[in-house]
Amino acid sequence: MEQKIAVKVDDLTVAYNYKPVLWDIDLEIPEGVLMAIVGPNGAGKSTLIKSILGILKPIAGSVSIYDKPYDKQRSLVAYVPQKGSVDWDFPTTALDVVMMGTYGSLGWIKRPGQKEKKAALEALEKVGMLPFKNRQISQLSGGQQQRIFLARALVQNASIYFMDEPFQGVDATTEIAIINILKELRKAGKTVIVVHHDLQTVPEYFDWVTFLNVKKIATGPVKDIFNDDNLTKTYGINYKVSIQE
Amino acid sequence: MSNAQLEIQVIASLVAIACAIPGTFLVLRKMAMISDAISHSILPGIVIGFFITQDLNSPLLILLAAITGIITVVLVEYIQKTGLVKEDTAIGLVFPVLFSIGVIMIAKNANDVHLDVDAVLLGELAFTPFDRLIISGADVGPKSMWIIGSILIITIGLLIAFFKELKVSTFDAGLSASLGFSPAVIHYGLMTVSSVTTVGAFDAVGAILVVALIIAPAATAYLLTNNLKRMLLYAICFGVFSAISGYWLAHVLDASISGSITTMLGLLFFMVYLFAPNKGVIAVMYREKQQRTEVSLLTFLLHLKNHTEESERHVNHLNEHINWQKVRSKTVLDLALKNNMIQFDKNIVSLTEKGDEFTSKAIDYIITNKDAQIEHMKDDFFLFRG
Repeated sequence: MEQKIAVKVDDLTVAYNYKPVLWDIDLEIPEGVLMAIVGPNGAGKSTLIKSILGILKPIAGSVSIYDKPYDKQRSLVAYVPQKGSVDWDFPTTALDVVMMGTYGSLGWIKRPGQKEKKAALEALEKVGMLPFKNRQISQLSGGQQQRIFLARALVQNASIYFMDEPFQGVDATTEIAIINILKELRKAGKTVIVVHHDLQTVPEYFDWVTFLNVKKIATGPVKDIFNDDNLTKTYGINYKVSIQE
Repeated sequence: MSNAQLEIQVIASLVAIACAIPGTFLVLRKMAMISDAISHSILPGIVIGFFITQDLNSPLLILLAAITGIITVVLVEYIQKTGLVKEDTAIGLVFPVLFSIGVIMIAKNANDVHLDVDAVLLGELAFTPFDRLIISGADVGPKSMWIIGSILIITIGLLIAFFKELKVSTFDAGLSASLGFSPAVIHYGLMTVSSVTTVGAFDAVGAILVVALIIAPAATAYLLTNNLKRMLLYAICFGVFSAISGYWLAHVLDASISGSITTMLGLLFFMVYLFAPNKGVIAVMYREKQQRTEVSLLTFLLHLKNHTEESERHVNHLNEHINWQKVRSKTVLDLALKNNMIQFDKNIVSLTEKGDEFTSKAIDYIITNKDAQIEHMKDDFFLFRG
């Protein structure tokens, strides 16, 4: 059976101040994969996600989500930004942050109600953060904050999840909890795309991988393309995978 | 209290509320200084508007000044985007230029008309009751009360309609964009409201002191709450309180009303800065002291746990052994006793069951850094609250 393409990127070029950070990216992400985007610092991993989500405007190329532009498909997509991208001293609670995930389906002006609150509480339960629902967000540990972000994405009940370094600065327990939830999402037929740093865990966590360094180096199933050759091409140095399969 | 006095206080309070609402979001967005820029650079807008209308309260003047405010924001962002200078520098480059254009325009052309720099910069609340709004022969109150009142109603309407959008784009612009709430639209909306409010308020407190009404109440409220709605409410209350108490301070001192209001804002912030229950300076100092004692307590308990031999647990020996000052040892011993964690038997100290359990748990937490098991400990001890 032909696999459906969830995300398609065509000839995407993105620049900051006229300096291209992504060159001519072509990428097809099949539905139902759990994919890592790996590459060195400054490779444009976050930029790629932000461009797909319309947060950054590309200077060339196009993106489609299930064959339609992102604007038309917002409700199918959930996004977890880098934890460090927000001010955790913002005066709000864990529950309230998760509720923000429901704002997209509400649209402008309409307020969240009981239905949205119930969905948010369920998402908090799923990530094991229900006891902390009324905690001010600055009073949460780094791992707990990341779980709150994950819950906020879950509440969007999307088909495609984009996550920007969800494992950054979290303890081992949280990392396992998060990856289990991501695997559950894949089992439910969702597509999950994760900017990832730790090469050691790629084969264990993911089934699909994209190597990125300003240009796309390779993309495909982990078992086929996660090898020394591609790692060397991406990271520039002679790379040896020290991972037991 | 005369009618004019009442009207002045009502106007000052309306201005305070109208400033506190955008101010709360500006403070949270770390953009407080942009209000300073706007308040200065609307001057040329006011002057041009005044030349055209010959009326400081004309809606056209407010519109023109608000447009100058938006131009300021756009210019600041444009300069910043070049990457050649940082945001604070960009702000510092833009507003003095626009402001000085306004000053020159007044000096060149307004010598014979009723507009001077002082009036624009400092405002004169005391004169506002003299400029009445007359509708078909009937006196309906001071003009500035109607102007700032209308601005306030629009601001409150926008706040209620777009509260959710303002919140999400302020907290997480990336998420806001991905959900379809353009942060740019919300940003410029907020900037427009800030500009219009600043223009509407300059008559009352002056273009410079309006900054205080925008920033200080929000900054004060921020120290007192972890809830955005409450922060808005507190900011409004602080603004109104300062407006009214500032008026009476000016009355007593026979001084400038806008100066007195701003002084009250400063005093209020200073008091809250010192005495706020969680974020205040005194609370933080107390917390740090408690934490130090608790670390000592844990060290002490651990020592008892690790040493079964009586010689190591004699009261006098402890003093020398852990090498603490007398006072500190006493504080720690008292704390341990109060919590039933230790017991005495002829000057030999030993852990109680509770103390033993507490020590194990605390050490376990410090080593594994797992959060869940120590939730109840957080209530009793600062040490574990992160």
